[in-house]
Amino acid sequence: MVTDQNTIIHTSMLTKFYGKYRGIEDVNLDVKRGEVFGYLGPNGAGKTTTIRTFMDYIRPTRGNATIFGFDSRRGSIETRRRIGYLPGELSIYGNLTGTELLRFAANLRQGVEWSYVTTLAQRLDCDLTRRLRTLSHGNRQKIGLIQAFMHKPELVILDEPTNGLDPLIQQEFYRLILETKSDGRTVFLSSHILPEVERVCDRVGIIRNGKLAAVETVETLKSRALRRLDIHFAQAVPIERFNTVPGVRNVTMHDNVLHCEVIGSLDACVKAAAKFEVVNIVSHEPSLEEIFLAYYSQDKSNA
Amino acid sequence: MLKNVFLKTLRDQRRSLLFWGIGLVALALYIALFYPTVRDMPQLSDFFQQSGQKDVFEAFLGGQLPDFSTPTGYLNVELYSLMLPLLMLVFAIGFGSGAIAGEEEKGTLDFLLANPIPRWQVVAEKFGVMVTALLVLSFVFLVGLVIGAVTVDMEISYLRLAQATFSTLLVALDFGMVALFLGCWRGNRGLCIGVSGGLAAVMYFLNSLAEMVDALKGYRIISPFYHHVTPNVLVNGLDPGHTLVLLGIVVVLFVASLPVFDRRDIAV
Repeated sequence: MVTDQNTIIHTSMLTKFYGKYRGIEDVNLDVKRGEVFGYLGPNGAGKTTTIRTFMDYIRPTRGNATIFGFDSRRGSIETRRRIGYLPGELSIYGNLTGTELLRFAANLRQGVEWSYVTTLAQRLDCDLTRRLRTLSHGNRQKIGLIQAFMHKPELVILDEPTNGLDPLIQQEFYRLILETKSDGRTVFLSSHILPEVERVCDRVGIIRNGKLAAVETVETLKSRALRRLDIHFAQAVPIERFNTVPGVRNVTMHDNVLHCEVIGSLDACVKAAAKFEVVNIVSHEPSLEEIFLAYYSQDKSNA
Repeated sequence: MLKNVFLKTLRDQRRSLLFWGIGLVALALYIALFYPTVRDMPQLSDFFQQSGQKDVFEAFLGGQLPDFSTPTGYLNVELYSLMLPLLMLVFAIGFGSGAIAGEEEKGTLDFLLANPIPRWQVVAEKFGVMVTALLVLSFVFLVGLVIGAVTVDMEISYLRLAQATFSTLLVALDFGMVALFLGCWRGNRGLCIGVSGGLAAVMYFLNSLAEMVDALKGYRIISPFYHHVTPNVLVNGLDPGHTLVLLGIVVVLFVASLPVFDRRDIAV
């Protein structure tokens, strides 16, 4: 078992079945101190299941998870003391105001400086005086974020944190994550949105159908990412000039618009297009499923 | 009031406790104030005595001879054998079902357990609130009843009233604890309410029908109502044996709840 000081989360063959339904299976994962680790996967892939075993809400069917060197089960009090957690489906007492809820949360654990709570509330533009049931989903999410960050935990676990946050607040939230990282603290963030993960994470674990498909640095992930391009030309161009460009595939042409998929760098494709008169280029962010497909097809071709 | 789970839960009950308290005081006063009227209707007692159906009436009125001519007989029939246990049961089962299962269904249990609190402590604090709330309601009820008794000059020992009320509290706590235990086991609020409510009804009739049905007589010792009604606390005071049984059920269920809750998964 890895128990060195710099491994914050370590899972070994972590498996959870709900009856005969698979939550996750044989997940082996290491998260290092001071990194922002993205846990990327479509809904239902097992992200929340993994996180709930970290929090000791559910118990592994097989395997185990170690956090700060403590078993997730036996050491759960100590680990929860040092974790800040934002659930995916945030349910909080609707009859309390933001202040009341956060006071309550602060009383249930030590080490909360109230001045930091108010700072966070200001930064996230969060009204703490309203009853939680009267808040929109996004505003409630802010309360959840404050609650996760307010004790400056060594490890912040966030399950789909930007759900419902407006873009401005998302920026502030990303800054908060980067600050946490520069403090030498660790962030574990689950998401189904690739750009979000690319933006803040150092490494990314990709989970699909309950299994960890890959753990990559964000750079590697980007270099292997697949993008769909629509290149609008002034007139029809010969398709063959693109078919042969490395990394470009599935090339089709409709009404002077060339559609293609590009894996990794766009450079070669753009240079090929530059030989003709280009009217417009539209790039579509790849969906998660497309990334997985790119992964699997490359793995096959590399083999 | 947000210092810990106990105080937070008690705070959540404040409105409920206020209205339950008002209701129970009203009931106590209402029953006490009508005592002289009922007492002065001798034909009522005679009716039961001479009907030839004494056993049947006893069974349905909770296993007590319905003697309205004495304060103890009157209060047993009108309050202690059915009405008060029923009301306190409803409160206790409602609270016991909400304590763990209710929070789990709302998803707020995740919030509590994200903090460094052991699961057993959450159960213990919720249990503490259930006991406290029932003590408060019992006390308030008792105050109402004593005021009523003084007003109509009822000849009754206030100590005995307190003891009978305490015995009722224990019955309610038994079933409230069944609900809390079921919540620790499964986390389904509907299941908690349904099973503990149903069980309370079965236990009530097991005891009262045993008056008539010999086949049931041997089994009624498993009914908390038997241990509440049989010693006739209003007349004789608390019986140590019966009281211990009522307390024992609470203790056993509470102790059993802790590992049951500690071992299982919390639902999303």
